[in-house]
Amino acid sequence: MDIKNNKFYKKWFKSGWTYITGAILLSLFQIVTLAATGNPWGVSGVFANWGAWLYRAVGGSVDSWYYFANKGAQATLNAGILHHAGSMRNLGIIFGALLAALAASGFKIKKLKSKKQIVAAVLGGFLMGYGARIGFGCNIGALYSGICSLSVSGWVFAVFLFCGAVVGSKMLTKYFM
Amino acid sequence: MSQEVTLDCLGEACPIPLVKAQNKLKELASGDVIIVQIDHSCALKNLPEWARKDGHNVEIEEVDDGEWEIIIEKA
Repeated sequence: MDIKNNKFYKKWFKSGWTYITGAILLSLFQIVTLAATGNPWGVSGVFANWGAWLYRAVGGSVDSWYYFANKGAQATLNAGILHHAGSMRNLGIIFGALLAALAASGFKIKKLKSKKQIVAAVLGGFLMGYGARIGFGCNIGALYSGICSLSVSGWVFAVFLFCGAVVGSKMLTKYFM
Repeated sequence: MSQEVTLDCLGEACPIPLVKAQNKLKELASGDVIIVQIDHSCALKNLPEWARKDGHNVEIEEVDDGEWEIIIEKA
């Protein structure tokens, strides 16, 4: 059987799903996440934990840092990455995205185009990471999960996220294109 | 005579391929063709969507694994 021309393969794996399908699936699975782990969906907070575990692995201590000094954060760090639902979920996201790209035969290792691109990526990553920690959440934890749990903070976050995106887009087209 | 322009957007992420194509298309005349080379799957969605909404003829060609050419004929 020629799978490439199979109608269901084309529909489910090859062509992108609509925004509505994506939105419905995200909504359903964030409920599953909340029910299964007891916490709303978040992504970037996990990276802070990964950093803390790495720092511990080389002999450092984050125990007196304000962000990690509370009981909850200490318990999470002491339990280790294998007992951390958020870490498993983030790995699952990466693995799932890889699987989807492979299934659509759309996987490609991309070349870096210019030094500018590296600067933009490092600078953008730093700003996003710093902003997400100082704001206690990224566009998932603070915006998406905030709005999902009917919290006003999610909407406030949205307004300023939008302002930041406008400034970022202007910078992108001016300096990095 | 109508001309054909190739726009190399390989290795570029959103929204750069879209903005580049929009800017380039403004310089062209009706009937001209622009070929946008991309390897970013979001651009595979937003480029044809914008071009079709704008009324241009659009064709998509899968060149290689994870590599596409969006061919837009200016209306």
